[in-house]
Amino acid sequence: MTKTILIVDDSTSMRQVISIALKDSGYEVIEACNGQDALNKLTGIKIHLIVCDINMPVMDGITFVKSAKQLDHYRFTPIIMLTTEMADEKKQAARDAGAKAWVTKPFKPPILLSAIAKLVLP
Amino acid sequence: MTVKVSHDGTVQLAIHDEMTIYNAHSLKEMFLDHCHSGAQELQIDLSAVTEIDSAGVQLLLLLKLEAQKRGFILRLLRHSEAVIEVFELLKLSIYFGDPIVIHANWK
Amino acid sequence: MSDINPALETFAQEVDELLTAMEDALLVLEATPDDVDCINSIFRAMHTIKGSAGLFGFDEVVAFTHEAETLLDKVRNNEHLIDAQLIAVLLACKDHTAQIIQHVLSNEDEPLPIALQQQSEALITQLTGTSPVAKNMTSTQENKADHVEVDVNTSDSSDNWIISLAFKQNALRNGMDPLSFIRYLQTLGKIIDVIVSMPTSLRMEEMEPEDCFLNFKIVFNSRADKKTIEEVFEFAEDDCNIIILPPHSRQEHYLQLLEHFPEDQLKRLGEMLIEIGALTEKELDCVLKEQGSDHNAIIKPVGEMLIAKNILQQPVIVQALIKQEAIKQKINKEANYIRVDAAKLGYLINLVGELVISDAAIRLIVDKHGLSDVNNVVGAMSHLVEEIRDTALQLRMVQIGETFTRFQRVVHDVSKELGKQIQLQITGGEAELDKTIVEKINDPLTHLIRNSLDHGIETPEERIQAGKPEKGIIQLNAYHDSGHIVIQISDDGKGIDSEKIVAKAISKGLVKPDQILSQTEIYNLIFEPGLSTKEEASNLSGRGVGMDVVKRNIEALRGSVSVDSELGLGTTVTIYLPLTLAIIDGFMVEAQKERYIIPLNMVEECVEMNSTEWKIDHVQHYVNLRGQVLPYLRLGDFFHNNKKHQATQRESLVVVRFGEEKAGFVVDELHGENQTVIKPLGMLFENLKGIGGATVLGSGDVALILDVQGLIQYAKKRVSPTLALSMTD
Repeated sequence: MTKTILIVDDSTSMRQVISIALKDSGYEVIEACNGQDALNKLTGIKIHLIVCDINMPVMDGITFVKSAKQLDHYRFTPIIMLTTEMADEKKQAARDAGAKAWVTKPFKPPILLSAIAKLVLP
Repeated sequence: MTVKVSHDGTVQLAIHDEMTIYNAHSLKEMFLDHCHSGAQELQIDLSAVTEIDSAGVQLLLLLKLEAQKRGFILRLLRHSEAVIEVFELLKLSIYFGDPIVIHANWK
Repeated sequence: MSDINPALETFAQEVDELLTAMEDALLVLEATPDDVDCINSIFRAMHTIKGSAGLFGFDEVVAFTHEAETLLDKVRNNEHLIDAQLIAVLLACKDHTAQIIQHVLSNEDEPLPIALQQQSEALITQLTGTSPVAKNMTSTQENKADHVEVDVNTSDSSDNWIISLAFKQNALRNGMDPLSFIRYLQTLGKIIDVIVSMPTSLRMEEMEPEDCFLNFKIVFNSRADKKTIEEVFEFAEDDCNIIILPPHSRQEHYLQLLEHFPEDQLKRLGEMLIEIGALTEKELDCVLKEQGSDHNAIIKPVGEMLIAKNILQQPVIVQALIKQEAIKQKINKEANYIRVDAAKLGYLINLVGELVISDAAIRLIVDKHGLSDVNNVVGAMSHLVEEIRDTALQLRMVQIGETFTRFQRVVHDVSKELGKQIQLQITGGEAELDKTIVEKINDPLTHLIRNSLDHGIETPEERIQAGKPEKGIIQLNAYHDSGHIVIQISDDGKGIDSEKIVAKAISKGLVKPDQILSQTEIYNLIFEPGLSTKEEASNLSGRGVGMDVVKRNIEALRGSVSVDSELGLGTTVTIYLPLTLAIIDGFMVEAQKERYIIPLNMVEECVEMNSTEWKIDHVQHYVNLRGQVLPYLRLGDFFHNNKKHQATQRESLVVVRFGEEKAGFVVDELHGENQTVIKPLGMLFENLKGIGGATVLGSGDVALILDVQGLIQYAKKRVSPTLALSMTD
């Protein structure tokens, strides 16, 4: 079964590069440009992993994670947060919200790919 | 999920769903019902299991333990690809002791 | 990755939009400096550009926007005030970001032009108030990811890692499925076996199916290192207890690493184990935390806890503790040293010298007056004086190793500069010699090593052509040889072309065209002043840079230097040096009423001069000593040319050796061993041939110390090679 990954990031180019890399590795990819957009896309389809930025307009990453953790179909979906090295408090907030995996920005695609593979192999 | 009860005290359960943390509660309740049913043999048809995660494996392991404690036979039948993959990974086939049929067209 | 260009286009477009938004926001801020939305929008521009740029590997962009982002984050958190000046800087940053992105997009993989780099630095200085540090976050992250795998032979299938995973209750709820990690583990090696266990007391009724009760023991075969394996489980850290026990071959590898652990600094056990890769920082943190939390109990040592917790095998811990103890002792030993002013030591040694002379004087008087009862006392005292002398001299002895190791750097730097691959091998660094000599030998050694580097070792291409390994080797070796220290500098370079040297020497008028020279004599020409200018050096197979200076420096230390070489194979320079400059054991002889001292360690044997047996050749000055040609020198004749030797007198032959060379000194009388305090000759006598110094005897008389090496050379010159050959038949 192909694994589906949801990418939530406000940068189009970021989504695009990640998406290309993931598809090349054999994942399905769904993109969302902020937390609200992502919530709208969580309609019951199977999502194996969520990659989520913290700092986004409209709805930030932490609010999104909290909401996703309330949804029946996505309560247990592993989440990788994209963080910056300076956001220690933010990191704790995201941890409390239910995100347990981290990749520090900026990163190159292989770093994110191996982080994803640890949680969900293609 | 379909349940078939035979005359010789064998209960056959076919799981038509994933076996993951999302449906772990309902799977547990169902297994528990059959533990209590007093059947001599519980057969579980895994052919339609599309996905199995650690929560599912955990339930199967626990069921095996219960079978030993309660004294009924547990047979796992017709493992699906998803189940075989996990059993291979964790080297569980020997533990459960059920023959695993690998289809010719399985990759 | 398939096609990345559309992504780059998107990136360019996105940057454009973000920077425009940033500029707009900055302009609004000028009027309303506390507009939160504007600040956020500016922050996001820098933040997003940094993130995306990192993805494409535009490190320069990342480095620059990182600084702006950091500052803007402070502004956002009200830790930094925004004012007109900062707005101006940020506007400049915005323009600059556009410029560098323009550059990296159109000139992929080319470094930033200097102008842009300088501008980056200037702006960073304005942003941070400090100069940029050479810091590159992307690369540090990469280093972490591409963690080097230590290549250890783990092909033996029974030689496996044992990984124990005990997952906690909430692991599954947090999305940390153990199966995922185990699947990923397979990408690093082969899973040999897995033992899955759960508490046997667990019953279906009470079980909460979303909780995790699973424990795994995984037998894993992999060449990855401990850190890499630990990183597989990095996300499970909060939800799982992880123990990674290395395989046996690893253990041996760790033991080996411990064996060679640097001894310069005392480290804690945990630090040592992390350094060799046996322990990871996470494991240590975990143990230390537990150690710290247990207030009531007696604190257990870390090593014990590591064994108890099955993190490391006992032998590794034991070895580490042994090593730690060794380092401790070594450092303690070093702490026992006292630093002493070298001048004080010099004064002490002078006094000891005087003491030795006084001792000799006393013995002389005791002998003269036949005071037999005093004899024993004087004997004991002399013995003590000898010991004091040796100990005092020992104080100034230092190992030559430190001088040697300094050349590692020289070789490293120079070989890089020259584009050559050269390795310096050091042996015998523990050989000791007088500190004053060590200090003075540094310059000549540097000279010789530079010579090997510059002219000895060929370029890698030349070496490959000559069928030699690409990497050249220079060896620096020291050893003791009969009261001398011998220092050898050898290289496996191109060697010395003797024909070229002879040609050069002839053109310089140093030798006559028809002169027949032995190989040694030819090589010794290198030390002639006329041959040692730099221009000629490169023509002369590259030897001779200031070699005359080298020779003079070494001879000033009463040492000598010689060269041996094989064309195409390499060159060896050998330096002989006395161990000390102060006091030696001498052998006293007498010739024509004059006393001379020969350094004892150069005396091979003393025999009676027997003219009938030896075929003494009075014209050529050689004897046949048991079939060997031995040039000889009549000391009396050499130093008193006017007096004539009387044949009737009974004479002795003292056979002396310096390095490989031997000669005989003919003397009238042998006086035996004598402690000799070397007194430098005055300026007036400095150039005296055959004399190395003087000493004051117990009687107050002065005796001359012979320059054995010089005299051997002189004696040999008088024997013509052809005659010598006929003798050996």
